[in-house]
Amino acid sequence: MMLTKVLSDALDSGINQIGQLRILRHPFRLHHIDDVNLDSLELHTNPDDAREIGLYTSGGEYRFTKGELSLRTGWIFEFESVEELRRAIDLFYPASLGLWNATNQGKARVQNLRDKLNRQTGMYRHARNVSDEGAQELVRSLCGPSNKCVKKILWKIDETTALEDSEASRFNGIIGDEETVAAIPMVCQEACNFFVAQARKRAKKEFEASEQ
Amino acid sequence: MEFSPKPDAALLIVGHGSTENPDSSTPYFDHAKEIRDRNVFGEVHCCFWKEEPSMREAVYMIDADEIYVVPDFISEGYFTQEVIPREFGLTGPTTVVNNKTFHYCDPVGIHPSMTSLILQRTDEVAPGVPQEESTLFIVGHGTGLNKNSTKAIKDQVDHIKTLPNCRFFDVIDTYMEEPPFIADWGKLAKTPNAIVVPFFIADGLHSYQDIPMMLGFEKEEGLAASQKEIFRRNPYHLQEKTLYYSAAIGTEPKMADVILDQISTFDAQNDAH
Repeated sequence: MMLTKVLSDALDSGINQIGQLRILRHPFRLHHIDDVNLDSLELHTNPDDAREIGLYTSGGEYRFTKGELSLRTGWIFEFESVEELRRAIDLFYPASLGLWNATNQGKARVQNLRDKLNRQTGMYRHARNVSDEGAQELVRSLCGPSNKCVKKILWKIDETTALEDSEASRFNGIIGDEETVAAIPMVCQEACNFFVAQARKRAKKEFEASEQ
Repeated sequence: MEFSPKPDAALLIVGHGSTENPDSSTPYFDHAKEIRDRNVFGEVHCCFWKEEPSMREAVYMIDADEIYVVPDFISEGYFTQEVIPREFGLTGPTTVVNNKTFHYCDPVGIHPSMTSLILQRTDEVAPGVPQEESTLFIVGHGTGLNKNSTKAIKDQVDHIKTLPNCRFFDVIDTYMEEPPFIADWGKLAKTPNAIVVPFFIADGLHSYQDIPMMLGFEKEEGLAASQKEIFRRNPYHLQEKTLYYSAAIGTEPKMADVILDQISTFDAQNDAH
């Protein structure tokens, strides 16, 4: 099924949130979940503006990880079509709709951390040397809402090693109370490249510590 | 080059991206928007090595079963030959992965139509400056690790020199980290004018800061926010010459044409359609 239809059906079923975005219908609108007084917001109609809005935090920091819990407030989009709505969501949270749909259909190609690290080449090939303990600590210090990432982790360390229990490993990809919020969860099918870069640094530290 | 529309196919533009500089991915989105506005593909998306969506995530955004993957990179090298095929699972020019057909095109920077972009850029940055009294420098990064990284620039220089309407006194390939060094531009230029075009996709520290410092008109590290001014202060008077400095060639809107040209070339060479 085309993703635009998937989104349309989801909205018909009552879903009205993804990440920090509130989705409204009739007309299609999109705004930050923390914004309440919609009349005071800056109006946008071009879905491409979503990239610009999602680029920086309110403090001016570059949001290179789009799953960061740091989307700024103060704007609202109004669209003529669900296609435009979908494009804006894909710019705020790239591939989030497609990943959610693939996960629902059992088609997400989840890759465990060891497989992800073992296929790295060049300078990142050293990331594979990180210990399980180091990897578990990285999950706790980089992933989950406390570290500003709002994605539900689908991967494990390897097929037989689950992520240790933590806020990051427990997070369901939905901001707010799952019982009352009708949201599309944000999912993480494999560790992001920022995680890989940090794993490389961690492996280096571990190696240096072992040399002493 | 005439482009035959592909309403049932998707275009996926692959860029490097950055965790530090948001300007680095702007040209890719600009190129995607330009092509999307022309309605020649059913879908147009971007993906990155350092930003989201990653190459492996981007596939989930695509409805079409046929995908043209175009590396928006300036040369062949580690990313185009190793990382991109690995991330998508590509084994040749056309690969079927999970029921989707991927066509893997060459990087945009090595397409012959880049030449016209360079010449257009020189006209824009140095309007009315006589070519006979000018040396054109095309600047790349250069690295001893990969000879391919300089080949694209050398090919452009050779091509421009053979053009019948090229009247530049000289056209020289130069690099940041290997000879001939752009820092030696004053010695290399035998003309009163020098025009410098950075052969990069995006503006970033190299074009904002590193190359200007090597050219001699920036003395110290500046802040990213104000650095686009560097391209608006032409000309610079240095070493008893007049220097015209361009933004990175990839910021040229007509890069969209080069992307489409690269796809047409792929089709012609691989009989994809």
